[in-house]
Amino acid sequence: MDLKKIRKDVAVIGAGMTIFARRLQETGKEMSWEAAKMALDEAGLTLKDIDAVIMGSAPDAFDGVHKKGEYLLDGAGGTNKPYMRVFIGGGTAVFAPIVGWWHVASGMFKRVLVVCEEKMSSVQPHAQSAFGHIWDPILDRPLKPNLVWIFSMEMQRYMHKYNVRYEDIALVAVKNKRNAVGHPCAQLADPNITLEDVLNSEPMALPVRRLDISPPSDGAAAIVLVSEDVAYEHTDTPVWIDGVGWCIDTTMWTNRDLAFPKFVARAAKMAYEMAGIKNPRKEIDLAEPYDPFDYKELQHLEGLLLADPGEAAIMTREGKTQRDGEFPVCPSGGLLGVGNPIAAALGIKIGELYWQLAGKAGPRQVKKDVRTGVAQAWGDLMQVASVVVMRRR
Amino acid sequence: MIERIEKASEIRHWLGDMEADHYYYSAGIAGERFFVALRDEGKIVGTHCAACNLTYVPPRIYCEHCFAELTEYKDMGKRGCVVAFTVAHYDKANNRLDPPEIFALISFGPHTTPLLHRLSEVESEKICVGLEVEAVLKPKKDREGKITDILYFRPVKG
Repeated sequence: MDLKKIRKDVAVIGAGMTIFARRLQETGKEMSWEAAKMALDEAGLTLKDIDAVIMGSAPDAFDGVHKKGEYLLDGAGGTNKPYMRVFIGGGTAVFAPIVGWWHVASGMFKRVLVVCEEKMSSVQPHAQSAFGHIWDPILDRPLKPNLVWIFSMEMQRYMHKYNVRYEDIALVAVKNKRNAVGHPCAQLADPNITLEDVLNSEPMALPVRRLDISPPSDGAAAIVLVSEDVAYEHTDTPVWIDGVGWCIDTTMWTNRDLAFPKFVARAAKMAYEMAGIKNPRKEIDLAEPYDPFDYKELQHLEGLLLADPGEAAIMTREGKTQRDGEFPVCPSGGLLGVGNPIAAALGIKIGELYWQLAGKAGPRQVKKDVRTGVAQAWGDLMQVASVVVMRRR
Repeated sequence: MIERIEKASEIRHWLGDMEADHYYYSAGIAGERFFVALRDEGKIVGTHCAACNLTYVPPRIYCEHCFAELTEYKDMGKRGCVVAFTVAHYDKANNRLDPPEIFALISFGPHTTPLLHRLSEVESEKICVGLEVEAVLKPKKDREGKITDILYFRPVKG
């Protein structure tokens, strides 16, 4: 692997996202268009300026349409352009921008649009019905597993191995749902939520309770990526993608280290090396790790080498990861606060880093001066990590 | 734009299916050995990779870390210990499970990949990581060569 031979630096110059909610009426194409148009407007571009389009979207089963990439094509603005759909489950949210990045970094394209869409409300009776078919059909499915049970076992393993208290994990849900207050797209913001609310919420699959989880949602998000050759023609505040990394662990989820996500650490090391980051704790100012469950934010911070195993829980308890804390984590409100339309979490992860680093996050803007941030997503069968390091220069 | 519509009947929509929803899922070469041993002999078997010092349960014909071909099948016995567990209150269709169902990862020894299965004959408060458990199988005449030939795991008594 040679991470030095990148031909062109790549910047984000615009981002957009729709409201995250149950949106029965709009089609996935319509939501894609809405988000893509917002990103183009912020970048000051029109569709005809775009050289290539990347579409990120999760299982075909959500929409009940095979080949969902071409189904969503026109809403993403890909007609008559080089176009591809990418999908690595939840990891798509940060992997689709990585694919957009290499389109530009290779020198092939100057302006690329990345659109991510998810509509989870179409599938009946519940999005879990689609998730029922991601399991090994011989070994797992006859036992009728559901995703929450598996995460629950992982959370329990994490708590057991690193002696993490449930009360500290639940504080992540409180923080993120409060951070989401004021986010124009938020589905799950709650200015009054308390630790007791989470601790007393309904048991789903213990130790996981209702408020530890981000529920299904519908929505879309988009970003515009440009080459260093043209970035300053369009904006004075480009935010640069200085490092990318991705890695996948074994598909046999029972065989993984469920307490420490090694694949996240590998992806992070790749991104840090590319970005020239030697001490991530000192050199990174804020993080948007993937937080579909509260314990995942902690586990991912540790995988991103921003905390020792088990330490992220203590940082949370001490308030360090609050928006105004010494190391803001999920200032967007995250998936727990804004919502979780799988791939569309692009807007919460990469979108938020762009807005924060460009100083455009409005009421969500973190207090301290931030120059370098890291975003991460997680997906497939709970096994893949995608990591992006972004900088303001 | 309308953001929240609670009833699908309020919008023009069609109810449809994707027709190709039946498949043959084959157990494979190692899977055949595993399920036949379970059905006919009541044994749980795995394969061992000597190079990586790792035993796969259920067995596989290759090691995914070094790509060695695995041909050595081992009887793992019926006893293992709990690596992780969960107490599930809802099924995948969001129906309440009463009583809750308990699922666990069960390891048959060090350097062995754990198996997912149910726990029973145990109060949920008494389960812990490291709990010693044993497999309870269906009677031989009822076994079909499926993972559900193991009814569940229960704590080892005494």
